[in-house]
Amino acid sequence: MSTVDLEAKIPNNVGLRDNKRLLRALEKWQPAFLEWWKDMGPTDFNQNDIYLRTAVGVGKGGWAHFDYVKMPDYRWGIFLADAHEGRKIHFGDQIGSPIWNEVPGEMRNRLRRLIVTQGDTEPASVEQQRLLGHTAPSLYDLRSLFQVNVEEGRHLWAMVYLLHTFFGADGRDEAEEMLQRHSGDPDTPRILEAFNKPIETWVDFFCFTTFTDRDGKYQLAALAESSFDPLARTTQFMLTEEAYHMQTGENGVGRILHRTAELAKEGTDPRSVGAIPFDMMQRYINEWMSASMDLFGGEDSTNAAESFASGLKGRYREGDGIYKDPTALQHSYDVDVPEDGKLVKKSIPLRRAMNALLLDAYHQDCTRIASRWNRDLDRLGVDFRVKLPTQRFNRNQGLYADGYFTPEGEMVSKEEWERRRGEWLPSQEDRDYVRSCMKAVYEPGKFANWIAPPAQGVNDQPVDFEYVKFH
Amino acid sequence: MSDEQRLVYVCEGGDCTERGSGDIHDKLKEQALAVDPDEEKVRVRRYPCFGGCECGINVTVYPDKLFYSHVKEEDLPDVVKHVLGEGPAVDRLTGAVEPDIEEMAWMMLDSPY
Repeated sequence: MSTVDLEAKIPNNVGLRDNKRLLRALEKWQPAFLEWWKDMGPTDFNQNDIYLRTAVGVGKGGWAHFDYVKMPDYRWGIFLADAHEGRKIHFGDQIGSPIWNEVPGEMRNRLRRLIVTQGDTEPASVEQQRLLGHTAPSLYDLRSLFQVNVEEGRHLWAMVYLLHTFFGADGRDEAEEMLQRHSGDPDTPRILEAFNKPIETWVDFFCFTTFTDRDGKYQLAALAESSFDPLARTTQFMLTEEAYHMQTGENGVGRILHRTAELAKEGTDPRSVGAIPFDMMQRYINEWMSASMDLFGGEDSTNAAESFASGLKGRYREGDGIYKDPTALQHSYDVDVPEDGKLVKKSIPLRRAMNALLLDAYHQDCTRIASRWNRDLDRLGVDFRVKLPTQRFNRNQGLYADGYFTPEGEMVSKEEWERRRGEWLPSQEDRDYVRSCMKAVYEPGKFANWIAPPAQGVNDQPVDFEYVKFH
Repeated sequence: MSDEQRLVYVCEGGDCTERGSGDIHDKLKEQALAVDPDEEKVRVRRYPCFGGCECGINVTVYPDKLFYSHVKEEDLPDVVKHVLGEGPAVDRLTGAVEPDIEEMAWMMLDSPY
């Protein structure tokens, strides 16, 4: 098991104390990160005490510590999951060969691009959410927001560690640039488009953490299979923290639906009391899930094929051995492709369909979540059910980007799509209404009227615990 | 994965973790490895969440497609016997979650690829 150095200026389990050159480079980057946090992180809450979870190790159980922390004092550390002795490459062309602890020369550019693209999303989401604290529906939720934010900051540290350690001057430059690009900046935007739009309301935040962070889970899970062991071990530990972010979203959307269902049972129009109508929630879900599906990239991708063949990115849970062919050379993937106004079934070589396979796993996961929401609605005795959009709806990337499809996946004309757009996606009126519902509730144990309290508090604390102490 | 080899997932979603699924995973793995040190018959792994949160701790056994729920430490000897091929399925632990949740778990594991 690795040794955790919690006393160091940068807490870590990667032996930074013994690598002076790397330590100096990261200590030079640290003030720039803190400046970025103050300029671009959550506004106006840096002097408050937040009841936060801080990673203090990677072992089984007890990996985190809870206490009040001012966010700029959060101990952003570098933690890799423990190494598995004798680990071999388990997919792609080099199956059975030893894993790599250094970057093979021919993989350098591709790996760097993967790490930079992943790393860029981490500070981007903090920037997108920086104003949300001012309209938090409760102290419990305010704490959740800041927990997500500081951990996305730690994930940036994880990626920056890889860049500094394995990519020399190029890596250091990339690490600098991650602090210079900003979400929505017209001159220096974030790399992926979904990370350039502001998250203005808590409905957006809960949808983002449900659907967009879940894309992150699948990308990280694919990288956790990597033959480049430092990347695999880094992302394995990031997944541990990421689980809380997705749970924040899943529970948040569920709590909104629950509250609306309670009102429906009473015969109260949610609009009359500042709650979110079911059909509006459905439109937000449609928007965020379809935007998140774009992050998987094209369903037919030679880039994805090369990443798999070279052992950089595996399939979801590849290491569990659930796939019949770890080389992915013997099968093809059937997909409906729009051609001349209709859908035509085509087979693409399996390796080129790696993004599609990952998207399928994502879609199944989202289906599980929607089922959970719907069971709660069923229990509450309301008829509304969440329906997730298919993989064809509202896409700007991949095979369906040029077509027009209903949420159910039926191909329609551009005119029909434009005419019915307001049925499926949030209108400006929806956005204005949701924004009007967002008013801060900072009294312990109290919640805004549009969201139900959670079933339980954090770390065995009661729901009415003072999760944020204002000064 | 060979046809004879079993893959056992222990859920480590939020609710299952609260109920102690980390310990269940460790003890199940330890008991299985004591008999099958090279994991030739069974591999015990963690899984992020199956969605059967109200029935946790949940454990799945593949390719048998058994979805064990409300698993407690005292159930582990019977589960281990079964997954090592030395005992019957533990019927008392099945049938608690909604069928659609079970189906979603098998969809992933039944990958045609």
